[in-house]
Amino acid sequence: MAHIIGGLGTSHVPSIGVAIDKGLTGTPDWKPFFDGYDAGKAWMRAAKPDVAVVIFNDHGNSFFLDRVPTFAIGVADRYRPADEGWGPRAVPDFEGAADLAWHFADRLVESHFDPMICREIDVDHGLQVPMELFFGRPEAWPVKVLPIWVNTIQYPIPTPQRCWEMGRVLREAIESFPGGERVVIMGTGGLSHQLQGRRAGFLNREADLAWLDGIAADPERYRAMSREDYVEMFGSEGAELIMWLVMRAAMNPQVDLVHKHYHAPASMTGAGMVVLENA
Amino acid sequence: MAIPGLLSDRRVWKALETAAPGRVRHADVTRDAHIAAMAGRLLAETAGPLIVAGHSMGGRVAMEMARQAPARIRGLILANTGHDRQKPDELPRRMAKIAAGHRDMQAMVAAWLPPMLAPGRQADAALTEELAEMARSIGAQVHERQIRALLERPDAMDCLPGISCPVLLLAGSEDGWSPVAQHEEIAAALPCAELQVIAGAGHFLPVEKPAETAAAVAAWLARTERPQIAETPLLDRAASLRGYRLNKMAMALAEPANRAAFREDESAYLDRFGLSPRERAAVQDRNWEEMVRLGGNLFFILKISAIDPVPITAIGAAQAGMAHDDFLKQRLGKT
Repeated sequence: MAHIIGGLGTSHVPSIGVAIDKGLTGTPDWKPFFDGYDAGKAWMRAAKPDVAVVIFNDHGNSFFLDRVPTFAIGVADRYRPADEGWGPRAVPDFEGAADLAWHFADRLVESHFDPMICREIDVDHGLQVPMELFFGRPEAWPVKVLPIWVNTIQYPIPTPQRCWEMGRVLREAIESFPGGERVVIMGTGGLSHQLQGRRAGFLNREADLAWLDGIAADPERYRAMSREDYVEMFGSEGAELIMWLVMRAAMNPQVDLVHKHYHAPASMTGAGMVVLENA
Repeated sequence: MAIPGLLSDRRVWKALETAAPGRVRHADVTRDAHIAAMAGRLLAETAGPLIVAGHSMGGRVAMEMARQAPARIRGLILANTGHDRQKPDELPRRMAKIAAGHRDMQAMVAAWLPPMLAPGRQADAALTEELAEMARSIGAQVHERQIRALLERPDAMDCLPGISCPVLLLAGSEDGWSPVAQHEEIAAALPCAELQVIAGAGHFLPVEKPAETAAAVAAWLARTERPQIAETPLLDRAASLRGYRLNKMAMALAEPANRAAFREDESAYLDRFGLSPRERAAVQDRNWEEMVRLGGNLFFILKISAIDPVPITAIGAAQAGMAHDDFLKQRLGKT
């Protein structure tokens, strides 16, 4: 059966991609941020996963406000990186883990989730940037991807509790999937940031640092919070952190926090990552 | 704030007290002979944010309040109202009414009232007597003043596209005076409106159908007034509706052909998306704060910066109302 070899949480700030594209990763602004991911990259090289499940939100690039799925699952064989308005990026296409994705879609619906199921769709920086942070910029990605889109832009966004439940189903689906795939799960988004309104530029370094430890050791605390709590604590766009709960719920109650990193601000965002292994 | 219409007082908005107990302030619109003066007086007599409900002429006052003080008006409830100016044949009829009121108020009211009600309610003695008593109590002097205000009424259509707060329109299916179609026109011109047609109600909808009115208002208030986090606009139903055209225009810039069209002739490109003059000006001025106020969401409107580069931190500073350097230091902790 397929099995989960690690759970990762990471920011997916678009400026990270821009910094890579423009060769700015060694500049004083960006070096401390990128250096912190070296340990994550090394872990990934050693872990040799076959599949990366990436939980992220689209930013209008594949779903505009004309149709907003609360949850969507990619079952495609291939995903192209979206041109978000700045021209195509030199990012290779992503091969899809279609069989696992269909199996997951089955399990979700049997578990009374009702996701949108996507056969032909581009993936934006929400998926691209986490992949680049952990795999660099290879000729071809060494893993297949299973994208899970969560609406975190138009309200109502799903509750943290619902994200958690989806993570439980994700684990069941992976562990009941025939084959020996080694799967990493990447919860993306956050940490604290706010792009709009008078509170724009809101950062909460203390809450971010507490999150990186707490998501490993005390996830129940974050599972119990309301959406409003997330917006208050992490800013309007920082509420993306609910997507890490999908990853966390798929892991054991007890995990080891193998790596963590924090840097603020990356652009306007508290940015960072964790690598978790089941204890 | 509950604003009654012609020859009316707090009695028309009793349903509002059911929908929002303890929160209703009844307005007096008997003292001014212009809609703008009525609106100005109500704004001057109060402070802070308001949700304004207006019935008939009161709806016109409510819209005028939103025009005069957009930052204070957080929502409008408009029942049995209209937007048009004086009609060509209106003046002699209105003047005759004024004269009739001065001659014999009781007779004037007895003739005026029945067509205001749904046909099925005209024989409802309790209802008609309650409303007739109210109208008589207002008196012929105020009647004349309010009619003159109505004759001079502004065309509300001019200000509707600039009203960005959520609006609930209530129309009566049997209202022959302010028909449903008129409310549909108002809804179409407003960035963020929803229209509910109450079946079997005439021009005194809030009195004819108080339970339905209270239920519609209570549900709308619950949607409109969800707990809000200070200075943090979320893309909720109201913002999504309000900013739809603006966001759609911006998001289309993800297509290379649209980027080229925008670069070549920005004005012609904007024409394709039916933006209001205010939305168009905000885009052309690259006024990010205003774009967000109009419902623009950064994830979408940011596409404009792909054509006309500006750092996201500068956009953040504009939102925060700060100088860019101060924003970098104070908000982001950059040194």
